[in-house]
Amino acid sequence: MSKIEIQHLSVDYKEKNSHFTALKDVTFSVEAGEFVSVIGSSGCGKSTLLSVLEGIHFPSEGDVLIDGTPVRGTGNDRGVVFQQYSLFPWMTARKNVEFGVKQARTNMEKKERYKIADEFLAKVGLEAFKNKYPSQLSGGMQQRVAIARALAMDTDILLMDEPFGAIDAKNRTILQELLLKLWEGDGTKSRKTVVFVTHDIDEAILLADRIILMSTNPGRVNCEIPVPFERPRNRAALVQTVEYSAFRNKLLALFYGDIASKIGGDEVVL
Amino acid sequence: MMAGKSTDRRETISLRKRFFRITNLLFLVLIGIQFLPDQSANPALSMNVIWFAAGLEVLVLLVSAVIKRQAGLTLFLDIVGFIYVFLILWTLASAKFMWLKESLFPPPGRVFAQFIEDIDKVWVNVLSSLGIIVQGYLLAVVIAIPLGLFLGWKSRVGNAATYISKFLSAIPPIVYIPYGIALLPTFRSVSVMVIFLATFWPVLASTMSGVMNIEQKIVDSARVLNVNAFTMLFSVILPASLSQIFIGCNQGLTVSFILLTSAEMIGARNGLGYYVKNYSDFGDYTRTILGIIIIGIVVVFISFLFNRLQRYLLRWRR
Repeated sequence: MSKIEIQHLSVDYKEKNSHFTALKDVTFSVEAGEFVSVIGSSGCGKSTLLSVLEGIHFPSEGDVLIDGTPVRGTGNDRGVVFQQYSLFPWMTARKNVEFGVKQARTNMEKKERYKIADEFLAKVGLEAFKNKYPSQLSGGMQQRVAIARALAMDTDILLMDEPFGAIDAKNRTILQELLLKLWEGDGTKSRKTVVFVTHDIDEAILLADRIILMSTNPGRVNCEIPVPFERPRNRAALVQTVEYSAFRNKLLALFYGDIASKIGGDEVVL
Repeated sequence: MMAGKSTDRRETISLRKRFFRITNLLFLVLIGIQFLPDQSANPALSMNVIWFAAGLEVLVLLVSAVIKRQAGLTLFLDIVGFIYVFLILWTLASAKFMWLKESLFPPPGRVFAQFIEDIDKVWVNVLSSLGIIVQGYLLAVVIAIPLGLFLGWKSRVGNAATYISKFLSAIPPIVYIPYGIALLPTFRSVSVMVIFLATFWPVLASTMSGVMNIEQKIVDSARVLNVNAFTMLFSVILPASLSQIFIGCNQGLTVSFILLTSAEMIGARNGLGYYVKNYSDFGDYTRTILGIIIIGIVVVFISFLFNRLQRYLLRWRR
């Protein structure tokens, strides 16, 4: 049994007169301890897919199973990082993390929760900023806090919806490497199951074990591609290899080929 | 890494900027004109003005000596400067040149003397008015905020309730007074009821509008943390709509003072409104002016405390 199984999932949005199919017959599964990236251009329903996993949207058809049980709403077995607004602006960084821990582990004492919060803020390099409010932190630092919270909650599953999408290129690189390091760990603990939504191909290759490429209109799975690179990965070394370029080009061809076929082939200049 | 707050930075303020300011000059002018000959029929009691001004100036010099931020010093000195200008004009217009009718506008020295004489009576009236305000206001806030959170959160009821509470908050609460008098035993309970209503509807309306305008992403990020209904309402929805809630609370506070002093002028046996109205009926305009000034001071003081509370509770905003 896979950790996450998505079976013939369709999501329709019905408004007054319009009817919009966000996802159509999406099927794939994620194994325990696997890092899966879902990529696709905007409007392919990748965020909708994640919100069904989060339990804030519901399937119109098909189902989503976690450990064999259908998802029927939010649960403290899943940690979530959004692109923005993951944090509560009226709580300090420390309080935000502690609040997450409190939700995930209901019978833990307050002192212990703050200890864990401090520990994970240190892991993301924000010890000195733990008493700052989100408005006093940069976008990159806010995402570090959000990651610290998701990790501190120690859930089996991490759901990340373009977490670095609003961060500048340099900080995005730093955050990707931080996430990679924290997720790969030192081998003493089992890795978390991650579903990571992005539109950045390099990000997907660097982080994921497997890439799910989605197509638009309606959103569906185009293909699944395993990422053939060994762990632990090192970006600087990896991007210089021939294999990396070849793999990246193959992925780009699939990615843009899909877009080109949608709007008429040859006319598209990339 | 980020913009430091100006409070973190040490500012050096020159001696000239600390002690040689227009406000200090105005103090000397105010003291100087007290020694002009009085024109008024009754004694102007100018010594009281000198004592008051001297006390204020000592405070000014103390603050000037210790304050760290120049912007704070300037604000403080400007406010005191306005008080000096007001006292200078008042002194000149009353005691010294008699531009104003003496019976209606007694000189400031007499008002200060009256304050010292009446201090117990004034204090009792201040407490009486504040007691009514605090009771009606707190009761309204404590009921309206949770109710508004709940109604706003249940958006189907909320939509209808918004229109209803907007309609009800538009009615001047003073029109409920006849019902209050018919239903309730004492003037005090009627006043509490009117202040309750004056605060309840605007706080309810602003709470609901705050809740219904919360960023959906904030609600989602709370939902994915699997919060229960209580935590959602009081740890997420409440702080997220707090700045809106304060708009209603501010409106309620302003209207409460207007209503209470008006009501006290009509039917009370104590309170600040009663103090002003009662003595003006007897033609005692020294006490009338004193009452008006005390009302001003009380309102400014309460708004000051309220603003501090608001700034503290919303300190997380940029």
